[in-house]
Formats: sequence, C-alpha cells, structure tokens
Amino acid sequence: MGGGGGMLDQESLKDWFCAEVLPLERALTRFIGRNWRNPADVADLRQEIYARVIEGVARSGLPLQAKPYVFTTARNHLINCARRGQVISLESVVELTGANVAIDALTPDRVVSAREELTRLSAALDRLPPRCREIVVLRKIEGLTQKQVAARLGIAVGTVEQQMVFGMRAVVDFMLGGSGRLKRPPAVRAKEGRQ
Amino acid sequence: MTPAVRIEEEAARWLLRREEPGWTEADGQALETWLADCAAHQAAFWRLEHGWRRADRLAARPLPAAESKARWSRRFAPLAASLVALFGAGVWLAHDAAGRVYATDVGGHEVAPLPDGTRVELNTDTKLRADVTREHREVWLDRGEAYFEVAHDKAHPFTIYAGKRKVTVLGTKFSVRRTGDEVQVTVVEGKVRVDPVDAPKPTPPAVLTPGQIAIAKGAATLVTPKTVAAAQSELSWRQGMLVFDQYTVERAAEEFNRYNRRKIVVTSPEAAAIRIGGTFETDNIDGFVELLQQGYGLKIEKTDDEVKITG
Repeated sequence: MGGGGGMLDQESLKDWFCAEVLPLERALTRFIGRNWRNPADVADLRQEIYARVIEGVARSGLPLQAKPYVFTTARNHLINCARRGQVISLESVVELTGANVAIDALTPDRVVSAREELTRLSAALDRLPPRCREIVVLRKIEGLTQKQVAARLGIAVGTVEQQMVFGMRAVVDFMLGGSGRLKRPPAVRAKEGRQ
Repeated sequence: MTPAVRIEEEAARWLLRREEPGWTEADGQALETWLADCAAHQAAFWRLEHGWRRADRLAARPLPAAESKARWSRRFAPLAASLVALFGAGVWLAHDAAGRVYATDVGGHEVAPLPDGTRVELNTDTKLRADVTREHREVWLDRGEAYFEVAHDKAHPFTIYAGKRKVTVLGTKFSVRRTGDEVQVTVVEGKVRVDPVDAPKPTPPAVLTPGQIAIAKGAATLVTPKTVAAAQSELSWRQGMLVFDQYTVERAAEEFNRYNRRKIVVTSPEAAAIRIGGTFETDNIDGFVELLQQGYGLKIEKTDDEVKITG
C-alpha cells in the first residue's frame, strides 16, 4: 500500500495514528458493537484492533486512506476472533463479510468546532464522579501538581493518581466520541491523612 | 480487569508521572522501553496523550508558571462548576497577555478570549500576537486568518497589523486573513478602517461597512461590496466548512490546501479554470475530487500526500 515499507519512524507513525485513526474511534466502536455480541468485549477488541493497525502500518507503511484500512483490519480481527471459537453469532460473521464496511468507511466525520469541543470537555468533566472531577480540575485546569492536590484535599498522593487515571480515561473516552462513563470508579477515602 | 483496561491504566500512569515535577531522563527511557514492548502499549499511550492534550488545548491555556498557578488557585479556590472553571482558565490567560502568541497548525481551529473581552477565532495555520489590556489593544497577524468579535470600547481603538495594513476598529465583527503580503478584511458587523502602513505617500484609508470585503496588496486596496450573507460565507470556516461560489477549481484547491497536509495539485490548466460551487467540510478532499471526477469527468491520481487533478 504505502511507500516506505519498514522505514516508517515512530514519530510519523504516531502522528498518523493520532491524526487519522483516533478520529474514527466513535465509528469504530459502533462498528464493533454492532458486530459483536458481548458489549463487555468492545474496549478490548478496539484496543487489539488499534494494535493491529499499528503493527500493520509499521510493517508495510502508511496506507493511502486510513478509514478503509482501519475498518478492514477491524473486520478481519473480528472474523479471526470468531473463528478462534470465541463467542460470536453466525449472522454477525455473514454481516461482517458483507458490504457494511464500505458504508462505515464513507460516513464523513462531523467537523467539530472549537466551541463545541469546549462544551464537550465541560460535559466530559460533568460526567465524572464529583470527587474525581474536583481532583481532575485542580490538576488539569488549575495546574496543581499531584502532591499539591493531595495536600489541598487531605488525601494520599496515590489516591490522587488513582482518581486521575480514572478521570483521564473517562475524559479521553468522551473526547473521542465515547460516553465518558467508564465502569468501576474507584472509591475515594477522604481520611487518608496528608502526605 | 480486562487487558485493555489494565494497559490503559498503565499508560495513564506513565502520562501522569511525566507531567509531574521530577521526571528524569531515566524515566523517559523507561517509558520508551515500555512503549517499545508492544503495539498495544503504543496504541493506549498515544490515544490517551492525544485526547488529554486536546483537553489542554481547549482550555486555551499554555502551561502556566508556578507563581501564576498559585495566584489563580487562590482567587478561584472554591471550586466552581466545571464550565466556569474552563472559561475562567481562559480569562486567567488574558491577565498575562503581554505579547502573548496564539497559533494553530494546519487544520487547526481555536477560540481565544482576550483580556478586553474581545473574542478571537483562529483559522488553520495561523499565528497571531496580542498585546491587549483594557487600556491598550494591539494585535499582529503574522500568518493565516482570524475572526474577531471586538469588545466595544470607544476610548480604546483595537488595532490589527497584518503585513502592510493596519486595521482599526472600535467594536465590531470581522475577519482578517493574511497570505504573504496580501491582506483580506471581511466585515460582518460595524465599521472597520483599513490603513496602509509605511506607505511611500499619504494614502486615504478605506472604511468598510458590513458586507464589504477589502483585498489589499502592495499599495492597492480593492473594496468589493457584497451582501452580509456573502461575507458570512467567507467565514464558513468557523463552522468547519468551505463554501465555494463560482470558484475556479484552482482556487478551491488552494482553499483545501490551507486546511490539509494532503495537498491537491492541479496540473491541467483546463481543469484549473473550471468554475464550481458547493459546500464542503474543510477536510473532505476525497468528497471534493470525487465530485470533480463524477461531475466533470476529471482524472484524479492519488498518492500518500497528494491528490493530483491531471485533466
């Protein structure tokens, strides 16, 4: 497909991945969800598909167009998983081998204005559990270090990090078109003493 | 915990630690090693880094110095609603505005509030320097295009320097676009005055009213009267769209090329001169050339970084 097979440096690969592949996340997640019975597997499958896309492109160079490449990789991966005997219904396989990849690949991405994105970020924060949101805002918006956040709130630095990990994952999920609601928010124990 | 969640959490921890003080070169190498482990690590880390940085950018706030942080924290210590916090961050940035630089990459689009209440929207590949306080309002457009909603203040004119032009306003809505030494001013609301800067002989200013577009190059300034709607369509980039009204293919290609790294190259003079109309998303090069292919039978060649229109 692409030109520089094997010659692709990490920086270019990363730039390409961020600029061309990540904007497809919403469509890709929908695609997986539609073609896979167990919704609990979607995040894992998406992660595996991303990894396969990166491996493939590192091996054979950048594809002409990201969309068809990503969705073909996704389809092949789902079919492989199905063939390896993992849970999948027969009609899903039939559907997967059909034409719906093309439809997905041609749906234009909506252009999101900066203002909409700002609103979106704010909505992402609103979806966080209150304590987690407080920590993320202190760290991300106000620019405090984790230690300072911990001191301010009277909790352990480890707890701040744990909340930040969750908050970051949820915010990024939402920014990339997901629901921004991840499972298992870790409980915060407020009385852990200062560090 | 599923493998994806485990890897993602690990990636998040790397990312957070890298943002903390005390991150060493050895830490950096350890991160590189972790990334090199497998493509899944790369995918998770790049994804989080990208999304997280996007959130940064949206707050329109470069990483502040430690001192300013403290100031901001004290002032806004009671945690406001997240939206207030976000816009607050923008206002905070404005307090520190002497010579502040605002810039976007190819394909970028940013909104920046200035300290006087003016709102600036930066189009693709744009660089702008602002020296704006409540008493003094000057902006330099070094490159690209920006749309201004200038806060009304009769006592303090708002001045924009773009190439060899000085654009002065009291409070209005308009855009300034600079391409090399050509400057275009499009007015949506209010009055805007365009003066030459260091002209060899005194030149009268051009005063633009809503719907007017001035194109200035060298000593000449051409003012075209248009409707406000036409002026608005010049600003369709604010909605992420390009509106072509009787554009040549060549000019339409140039417009697309401002927003995309993948460039449209028109090698056939006949094709370049065809006039077209339509509305496209700024990154929808494929849709555009497909239309040319189907509607006009033009030949298209695609490579990694170019789309050639060959005849």
